[in-house]
Amino acid sequence: MFQNRILTLNNISKSFSGTKVLDGVTLEIEKGKVHTLMGENGAGKSTLMKILVGLLQADEGEVLLENENISGLSVHDILEKGIAMIHQEILMVPGLSVAQNIFLGKESRRFSWLNESEINAKSKEILASLKVDISPKIKIKNLSIADRQMVEIAKAISNNAKVIIMDEPTSALSDTEVKTLFEIIENLKSQGVAIIYISHKMDEIFKISDTITVLRDGKLIATNKASDLDNNTLISLMVGREISEIFPEAKTEVGKTLISVKNLSKKGVFSEINFEVKAGEVLGLAGLVGAGRSEVARAIAGLDKFDSGTIELDGSEIQINSPSDAIKLGIGFVSEDRKALGFIPQMNIRENFSLSSLLGFSKMGFVDIASETKSTQAIFEDLKVKAIGLGQKVNSLSGGNQQKVVIGKVLMSNPKVIILDEPTRGIDVGAKFEIYKLINTLKTKGLAIILISSEMPEILGLSDRILVLSKGKQMAILPKSEASQEKIMQYAVH
Amino acid sequence: MLSMQNEFIVNIADEMQKKADELGAELIIVDAERSPLKQIEQVESFIAQKVDVIIMNPIEFEASSPAVTKALAAKIPIINVNSATSATPTAFVGSNDVESARIAMKYIAEKLGGKGNMVMIHGLMGQAAQLQREEGAKEVLKQFPDIKLLAQQTGEWDRAKSMDLMQNWIQSYGDKINAVFAHNDEMGLGAVKALQAVGLKDKVLVISVDAIKDALASVQKGELNATVFQNANQQGAGAIETAVKIAKKQPFEKEVLIPFELVTRENVGKYLK
Amino acid sequence: MQFINTIRQYGIFLAFLIICGFLSYASSQFLTISNWTIIITQVSINALLAFGVTFVIITGGIDLSVGSIVAVAGVVAALLASQPDLPLIVPILGGLLAGLAFGLLNGFIVTKSKIAPFIVTLGIMTIGRGLALILSKGRPISNLSDAFNFIGGGDVFGIPFPIIVLFIVFIISYLLLKNTVFGRYVYAIGGNEQAAWASGINVNKIKMAVYALCGTLAGLAGILLTSRITTGQPNAGAGFELDAIAAAIIGGTSTSGGTGTIAGTLIGALLIGVINNGLDLLNVSSYYQQVIMGAIIIGAVLLDSWNQKKMAS
Repeated sequence: MFQNRILTLNNISKSFSGTKVLDGVTLEIEKGKVHTLMGENGAGKSTLMKILVGLLQADEGEVLLENENISGLSVHDILEKGIAMIHQEILMVPGLSVAQNIFLGKESRRFSWLNESEINAKSKEILASLKVDISPKIKIKNLSIADRQMVEIAKAISNNAKVIIMDEPTSALSDTEVKTLFEIIENLKSQGVAIIYISHKMDEIFKISDTITVLRDGKLIATNKASDLDNNTLISLMVGREISEIFPEAKTEVGKTLISVKNLSKKGVFSEINFEVKAGEVLGLAGLVGAGRSEVARAIAGLDKFDSGTIELDGSEIQINSPSDAIKLGIGFVSEDRKALGFIPQMNIRENFSLSSLLGFSKMGFVDIASETKSTQAIFEDLKVKAIGLGQKVNSLSGGNQQKVVIGKVLMSNPKVIILDEPTRGIDVGAKFEIYKLINTLKTKGLAIILISSEMPEILGLSDRILVLSKGKQMAILPKSEASQEKIMQYAVH
Repeated sequence: MLSMQNEFIVNIADEMQKKADELGAELIIVDAERSPLKQIEQVESFIAQKVDVIIMNPIEFEASSPAVTKALAAKIPIINVNSATSATPTAFVGSNDVESARIAMKYIAEKLGGKGNMVMIHGLMGQAAQLQREEGAKEVLKQFPDIKLLAQQTGEWDRAKSMDLMQNWIQSYGDKINAVFAHNDEMGLGAVKALQAVGLKDKVLVISVDAIKDALASVQKGELNATVFQNANQQGAGAIETAVKIAKKQPFEKEVLIPFELVTRENVGKYLK
Repeated sequence: MQFINTIRQYGIFLAFLIICGFLSYASSQFLTISNWTIIITQVSINALLAFGVTFVIITGGIDLSVGSIVAVAGVVAALLASQPDLPLIVPILGGLLAGLAFGLLNGFIVTKSKIAPFIVTLGIMTIGRGLALILSKGRPISNLSDAFNFIGGGDVFGIPFPIIVLFIVFIISYLLLKNTVFGRYVYAIGGNEQAAWASGINVNKIKMAVYALCGTLAGLAGILLTSRITTGQPNAGAGFELDAIAAAIIGGTSTSGGTGTIAGTLIGALLIGVINNGLDLLNVSSYYQQVIMGAIIIGAVLLDSWNQKKMAS
């Protein structure tokens, strides 16, 4: 299987302050192939890549490039040997031209005699080999994110890179730009370059990968040919459970309609949105980034104004002018942007939990700390927040536990309807499960739940019905029985 | 004018206006808000307006000097009122601040019989009035070697600050202090308040300078022992008279010195109007 | 959070004790009841302003207008207190209402216009100063009633009245910030204004209340000052805003918002007062006094940023 092996990571282990983040990982990378690394956040992908490019040193194990041991070399030396990384945040000098960036740091050596027109010509050649149409003379700051990424790839090629690492390269790209990137990847493959690809997006992984390795909790779980895997198997490998276990069916009685949204429109953002959610029901909002899912949610939760349409809660029309209105009426909102809208970093867990329900603990304007502590302690235990105690600052918690605090805060305001916008974004697998379980618990308690997620399995696994949005328009509402990834995508890309 | 937030300066300005109306002269008053730069700009604009005579109440000895030089270069006569500049103006109307301190200190020396301990509360450090009043005070102290200056510190011309300062000194020196010389009445009154609060006022002399209304009232009540009257009315009127003479090309005195007068309980009546 | 806060305040408290220790060694008059009575009386005005400013800074704002509000409120109170037949409550209410009005104006512009508080309160500072001069016609207002002069100059059982006022306001501010819903919201807004808003807190209302509180306390400080020097001075209080901000920052209030305590601010104000008093006792030249004070402010901010770095890691 690995005849064309170019790079071997052999039995790599790494610990941070006593915690093992990589545990004996062995990886073999082939020439002219795309090898995808998968795993939840914290699975060890980034650490592994940092070791590969020399940003970190492994505690154990070795890195072999064409049978030469390159472990322990500096970042610069490893780059010289031909391993390049295209970063998530692109590192280039915005004020310099494309050509100047491509040859940045090399002027003094190989190309020291080259004048401006020569590096321009050279760059043009490289860009042409990638079939990219960018002028070498244009300044980086005038390029789109996608074009900048192309320049980064060109830069890697100018270094004679044999292995290129791409860390979530499509996160900031449009569909057409993704297509161009994939063409370039095919192109690189045909030139014999090995690609290590990191991504969370299932569809593109199956499109581009030759081999897929799954990491979980610092351990290598499996390396398979992409053609041998399917969506569900891959997810099960990543999370270490069967799909049926991940999204346990919650048997709930669906009750009366709690919220109904009629003809909700906001110019240029979304139009004519109509849906209702019953007690004990989860409505999933699906769609591509920019389809208007979060915007609809923000409007219902009072964070943004809308132009027309009505919202009915429990059968009567309501007016919402601020988040405060929404919370008072019983609409809770967990934002996708936890840091900006979710919690107060300097405050402790107790204070964050009670933030939306503080008036309930007030006696003549004073906070009744005893009853506040009692209530927050209960939810702290319910949600299994991993922390020293209620007094720990939210700032110092992990993403998953921060998210639990934010959800707890919303729950403490006793909502009838809860809107969860990307509730599992950027949190570890364990916490994800607990949030899935929590969603089911809330269902059985008779809340109406609106769930937004970019992770298709989540939407499919948790929702009773799925509303698909495309470019601000409501395309369809699919019952669970009819919903599938393909069907949703069909509507979503409309 | 130096600052229209200062009672004494406001008095001068009022008197100037009164005298100008009386003599039928047109008077434009502007406030430099304690900024020498602003003062120079204002003189420049007067030069541009081609006024007949400029009367300036300088903010600083050095920093306000360019205004004088510029006016003279533009052949517009300029009169300094109340305080001086390093450049010599066409005429000066005012009093010598060194003299005010001499008068006050001599009174202290006389009352103490040439022997005792005193403290001095300075004005804002570095200003002409503070420097000159300090100079006058030190001059007199040299003549009376038995008067000891226990401490000196700025009260920034401010009543509350000087009150705090005096309280702290009382802590430090207790009843060793026999006399206080404050560079202006505001600070003198602050010291009086501090001394009254601990019942020491009867034992300590307090003398300050300016003879503002509050100070005169205090002298009358026998709290502030004395103040030195700087005649704002005469300064303001004198400045206008000189200006009109210059404008009419009549002969004028290059230096009109308005004498200071010591105000005590005995003669306070004539200053209270 | 609680823990690190304790450390921080403890740090300032320690610095305070060390300085007190040094001063009592250097001057035998320092550690006496009468000297401390004086220190606390002198500190009271700055402390009142600093309490108000602490609230504002915790919400992530700043108030530069308190010094001018002291002057306006003082002039208003003096104008009323110089009318012989008005009862004492009239000048007091007048001064407080003047402060409240300016605070509300600050709050209104800050919340409605979204102009930075620095700019808004800088403008109000200048307007306030002008208004004080207009109301007083540029001259001090004296001949205030004896009852009014008691506020700043009198004492009860040997305790100067300003100390009693300071004590009461301290207790109220302390409880307000630490134990009430309002106080919690103040911290929340300073910690993350967007999140506080999204959590259902009426951010504008709270901010408005905070500026109003700060203005009212400045009005109270103006009444105390006017009564203490028995005149209403239009140019009183110039530069007080900086002393108040310094006291808050020395006391551990972070200029980036979200942290700070009233007790810390009191220590900050006392520290400034003790240093002024001690340096006067030691007859240190006023030039050096300024240098020392500046060094202490920078030291306090350094301590603050050092603490924040430690918290972040």
